[in-house]
Amino acid sequence: MNVACLLVPDFLVALARREHPELGGRPVVVGGAPEEHAAVTACSAEAAAAGVTVGSNLRRALALCPGAVFLPVQEGYARSEAELIAELVRERSPMVEVVSPGHVHFEVRGLPRMMGLSDEEFLAQLYESIATRARLPIRLGAADAVFVAHVAAVSEEREGRREKGETSNDELRTTVGRNLRAKAEDLPQFAIRNSQFPTLVPAGQEREFLAGAPVDVLPVDPVMHLRLRLFGLEWLGQVAEIPLSAMQAQFGADGTRARALARGEDHSRIIPQREEVTITEEIDLPAPAASSEPLVVGTEALLQRALAHNDVRGQTVRRVDWWLGLESGEQVGRRVVFREPTSDPRRMLFVLRNKIERIELSAAAVGLGLTLSGLCSEYAHQANLWQLGPRRQRELEEAIEQLNARAGDPQVYRIVEVQPWSRIPERQLALVAFGS
Amino acid sequence: MVKDSGAAAGAGGLRLLNQPKPAAIEATPEGEPKSVVVHGRFQPVRAILDSWRIDDEWWREEIARRYFAIELQNGRTLTIYHDLVGGGWFMQGYEGPRESRSIVRQERSLRGK
Repeated sequence: MNVACLLVPDFLVALARREHPELGGRPVVVGGAPEEHAAVTACSAEAAAAGVTVGSNLRRALALCPGAVFLPVQEGYARSEAELIAELVRERSPMVEVVSPGHVHFEVRGLPRMMGLSDEEFLAQLYESIATRARLPIRLGAADAVFVAHVAAVSEEREGRREKGETSNDELRTTVGRNLRAKAEDLPQFAIRNSQFPTLVPAGQEREFLAGAPVDVLPVDPVMHLRLRLFGLEWLGQVAEIPLSAMQAQFGADGTRARALARGEDHSRIIPQREEVTITEEIDLPAPAASSEPLVVGTEALLQRALAHNDVRGQTVRRVDWWLGLESGEQVGRRVVFREPTSDPRRMLFVLRNKIERIELSAAAVGLGLTLSGLCSEYAHQANLWQLGPRRQRELEEAIEQLNARAGDPQVYRIVEVQPWSRIPERQLALVAFGS
Repeated sequence: MVKDSGAAAGAGGLRLLNQPKPAAIEATPEGEPKSVVVHGRFQPVRAILDSWRIDDEWWREEIARRYFAIELQNGRTLTIYHDLVGGGWFMQGYEGPRESRSIVRQERSLRGK
């Protein structure tokens, strides 16, 4: 067991149901009020069963599912909750990849052994612990490869719903294999299944396990899912049996990859997010300030302090968030995004000064702070050597003269065409001393 | 590359570019390069990427060369030629002009017909 996949099915709907348990079992559409000109961001399985699809118009969603509860998208809340789940996983795994909100892949290689647990015990504990703290219906799958772990988590979703009787057969088709033609009773049984606890696919049994998964779990274009089904290929087991040449001929590189995945051959790795380094500096002003001058002076001091930080050495800054704490308890903030990343405090201050001088304060400022973020490598400009204006050209010529004088012979040449029409290579071009 | 400004070049500052340098080449009986001495060591020729011929100035000092663009075993590419008049092999770091090459190839193919 190397990799695990944690998934909160219909994340936005799950969040809404957590806050409003009375929504359980009712069709829910997230995206806004039906009269708004907006699209469906997420919908519950009940709404999907009525024909509502993500991305469709909210009015159409209302027409299809008049009994649905329409909720606005709470982006900030969803983002912070998704980050909370990722953080819970990060507490347990060194490598975590956030695939989408409420969906993470993470490394578990060696972790059970380190904790003196079996793989099953480790997963069960992980599941319990995260589900309890997040208070969301999480699904967990684990395997040696990323794709298999993902399918294990997705498949558990289907099996779980089926066994708990939460959904009808028709609804079942919409959860994992949307638009599947097969009836739920016809679904092949998964090789290893445990709906109550996380699904673990033992090494060597990947292909057997994947055989019963619908083709919709393949990470390819939805059009390819449709085409696979038009060919009568509903399950990964069928895809795995197709000759490589046939898959390549029909689907190109996607076909090769799909076939490999269906056979359990997945060499992809977890790609963890790079933790963003931010540097924050704050000061309390010695006296309440109502004019811009002390604010500029304070900002300059803060910039010097922040740029002296070890994490910013040799780096440039793309973004500065600057804020003021007012006597009234309010906070006034400005964000500056530089067109080109810089590490020059004078340039930063120049841009910030313009912002500061335009601020109209409702009360005196008592505190000042800034955060540097978007740190990136030192930015270098490749300037054109020859087109930098007459002054630069003169400097360059003087430097070349000095070089020639020191060496005694011409040291810098330019290529000139002598007989460009000649078929004899050595007669076409010549080197002429620069400046001659 | 800088276009010729038309200014007279100072005689002292002029250097010919791409002068042929003698090369040590081991050739096959068919006259194709088999290995090349680079930095004192024989490097086998992995592939002949291109081959063309230049015949010129027969009215004064005749020039007849058979050029080869080759790839060595270590991946390096070279342009070499066999001097068909004076004999000997030479190396030219500069790749022959594309236009001239294509003309030569056209001429060859016409001759072949």
